[in-house]
Amino acid sequence: MKRVVPLENALDETSFGSKAVGLGQAIRDGLPVPPGVALSGSIVEAVAAGESSAIKAVAKRVRPLGGPLAVRSSAMDEDGAEASFAGQHLTLLNVPSADELGSALSKIWWSANSDSAITYRKRVGLFTRPSIGVVVQALLDPDTAGVMFTKNPVTGADERVIEASWGLGEAVVAGIVIPDHYRVDRSGQVLERKPGLKRVSVRGVPEGGTVEKDVPPELVESLCLDDDQLRQLSQLADRCEQVYGHGRDVEWAIEDGTLYLLQCRVITQAGR
Amino acid sequence: MRGAPVDVLQRVPLFTDLSKREVQQIARLFKERRFAAGETVVQEGSSGAAFFVIESGEAKVFIGGKEHTTLKVDDYFGEIALVDEGTRMATITATSELVCYGLTYWDFRPVVEANGVIGWKLLQRMAKMLRAARED
Repeated sequence: MKRVVPLENALDETSFGSKAVGLGQAIRDGLPVPPGVALSGSIVEAVAAGESSAIKAVAKRVRPLGGPLAVRSSAMDEDGAEASFAGQHLTLLNVPSADELGSALSKIWWSANSDSAITYRKRVGLFTRPSIGVVVQALLDPDTAGVMFTKNPVTGADERVIEASWGLGEAVVAGIVIPDHYRVDRSGQVLERKPGLKRVSVRGVPEGGTVEKDVPPELVESLCLDDDQLRQLSQLADRCEQVYGHGRDVEWAIEDGTLYLLQCRVITQAGR
Repeated sequence: MRGAPVDVLQRVPLFTDLSKREVQQIARLFKERRFAAGETVVQEGSSGAAFFVIESGEAKVFIGGKEHTTLKVDDYFGEIALVDEGTRMATITATSELVCYGLTYWDFRPVVEANGVIGWKLLQRMAKMLRAARED
């Protein structure tokens, strides 16, 4: 069905994809997720096909979010393949407003039908028609962002491992910087702080999209999280584990002193 | 804008035996896809599930790493993948901003399955193309 719903009302993974439903669950459980809407796979396809009624329906529901927007693919969990599709299905950050959403959704729809996605689908034995939901949220302009593992993904130790850098978390996710590295125990006690080499930060630009900006020299090797923020992150890890279970890979951001959860999924390589 | 121009599709060899109405039926299933200059459109050896007609812009074709030809407005590529879901026989790279109409295997197949006349015409055309290829 062609549906656009507030993120907290996204319940059906076969319509909205696992990312949308996971974030919806997080909102229902009181986790600090930025507001957003979930688009079903069929309405994403209708927008990609240029159906004006679908384009209008989406714009109407997205407009109250303001702009700029983060537009993230939310793949249907086909045989647990969601994590593996990461990197093939697009995320578009800093789409200026609801009026520019059509081309963003077209790009995302095609990313699920691209040669690389089709090649991957065949390799894992998926011969069904791809369908892709989308999550649209207000884009944050974070001071600091990154990833957090609720247990050590290398050793399997019961501790939080946090990697952080200035600006949007894509600098960490895409490996553009050497991020700060922190280990924090369950009580919030900091076990290790290792500054990274953060020469650039990823920031939104007014015309849409993101750019890499030089970080002021004095911040390149400065720690970008203080102990209080690390404690807050550890508490967020607790809450994520209560809601989703142990061993989570969390994307987070801090904007104007407020911590947000952007994504929470299972660690795929934990503690082998 | 919905679909692709019928007159362009009527020039695609695979579709030349189809009536205008039949081509219109297929044209409605196309979706616009944009590529940035330098972007790889299809990669030789990878699986493909879409056929493209160029609306604007240019792209270069490489086979075995060797430059082969340049594709321009109304040129098309990838039509064989619509039928056999096979691997791409060339790499195509956008040399300018490239706007295409794309049709996926997933959208094409139900039309053919539901319409035996279209299916038979396509089968005949494929046989003729195969015969022509063997005679070359």
